[in-house]
Amino acid sequence: MNAAEMRYSQRILLGDYLRAGAGVLMCGAPLVALDLGRWLGWILTGLVILFALFGVRTALRHTTRFLLEPDGLRVEGPMGTFIAWARLNRMKLSYYSTKRDRSDGWMQLAVGSTDTRWVRIDSHLEGFRDIVLGAHRAAAASGVELSAATRANLRAMDIPVEEPLPA
Amino acid sequence: MLNYIARRVLLMIPTLFVISALVYVIVDLPPGDCVTSQIDELLSRGDPDALRRADELRSLYGLDQPLWQRYLEWVAGMFQWDFGLSCQDTVPVGDLIGERLMLTMVMEVSTIAFIWIVSFIIGVYAATHQYQAGDYIASFIGFVGLAVPNFLLALVLLYVGKVYFGLSIGGLMDPEYIDKPLSWGKVSSVMQHLIIPVIVIGTSGTAGMIRRLRANLLDELQKQYVVTGRAKGLPPMKLLIKYPLRHALNPFVADIGNLLPEVISGSVIVSVVLSLPTTGPMLLGALKTQDVNLAATFLLFVAVLTVIGTLISDLLLAALDPRIRLGATAEK
Repeated sequence: MNAAEMRYSQRILLGDYLRAGAGVLMCGAPLVALDLGRWLGWILTGLVILFALFGVRTALRHTTRFLLEPDGLRVEGPMGTFIAWARLNRMKLSYYSTKRDRSDGWMQLAVGSTDTRWVRIDSHLEGFRDIVLGAHRAAAASGVELSAATRANLRAMDIPVEEPLPA
Repeated sequence: MLNYIARRVLLMIPTLFVISALVYVIVDLPPGDCVTSQIDELLSRGDPDALRRADELRSLYGLDQPLWQRYLEWVAGMFQWDFGLSCQDTVPVGDLIGERLMLTMVMEVSTIAFIWIVSFIIGVYAATHQYQAGDYIASFIGFVGLAVPNFLLALVLLYVGKVYFGLSIGGLMDPEYIDKPLSWGKVSSVMQHLIIPVIVIGTSGTAGMIRRLRANLLDELQKQYVVTGRAKGLPPMKLLIKYPLRHALNPFVADIGNLLPEVISGSVIVSVVLSLPTTGPMLLGALKTQDVNLAATFLLFVAVLTVIGTLISDLLLAALDPRIRLGATAEK
């Protein structure tokens, strides 16, 4: 069986590049152009670093591709790794939204195995649901404990989850 | 999470710019300006140079420039802690607000800590002792706190303190420390004087929070998983802390953003009643005299605190409970 290849869409990446650029520009311009007070200088420097990191992370996503294989998830790129489903020992599915009514948000899957770091994938990735399904199947098989938030988010994606009994 | 933080902070920057523009324009909207009342006074005294003096003052405060130009100068100056001149004493706004802003922040942070600590203890007690004497007392305190306006409570405490205990509870420090540099004695005096304003300003917030925490915790305690845990013989304290309390705490975190503006706006009139040297009375004076630079600077600080409070609460909530809500649709 062939591995399914997945990448972040160009539209999403372009949006993130623009956000990073706008952030660096808006916070960096006063730093360069004005003689700022010490505290404001530190705050703006921190924000410039935040947006620069966001830009670097977007660039990493740009150069990364995910391969969903029958026995695990392969991440190819500068921070490449392989998470074998059989060794999966942690899984978190989170939901983030910048709106007050929490609409129009995005999911983030974080998975890790005994011998790898956390791998975080956003729902903007084409084929995200297939990865979540694979990870959830592996987590259920390995008896990985899922948080209440993860269970609620899985249900929101129409993935059936069994409610654990209190220990 | 980096994605979330970057997006939230990016939204924050234009939000603050829009707020600053709205605040500046709205404070400037009423007819006349801060020189008008000063000139009326000179004219009533029969000063022949009143009109020439008015032009000088308008030129000094920059009031002869168009609104957009004054706004841009004010915004540009903000980055260097230069908020322009205040009309009240013709001194830089930055010098006027320095200590008051610090005292206001100390008072607001203490009030929020008071609200959280008191409402957490009473709310949990009321929920776990439903329909018992303690619950009825807590509910009574809650309703009284919600019903009594803060300024009325301040007046009652002023009266009781003076008439029955001979205490003057106004002000935020002993008179000998006013306009003196920071010292341990001054800090100690501020701490002692903080108790009454914090109780007065925090009462309604505490009452509201007790009601919300009690209701949320009662909802959680009646859920199936708690009943199952109880049936399986889990110790009551462990059963309370492990899940229900965690879930019931979310409104605490979510309310940080709402508490800040509520506490700040609630403290304006209380500060006038209790003669507190915070930003409230000065803001009121600035609005009455149309001191645009001073009023807009205060209101912008309130907006900055609110936006930062909301950001902190959203980040904490996203870290504590990153769950999709009913009715929200994620991109799947």
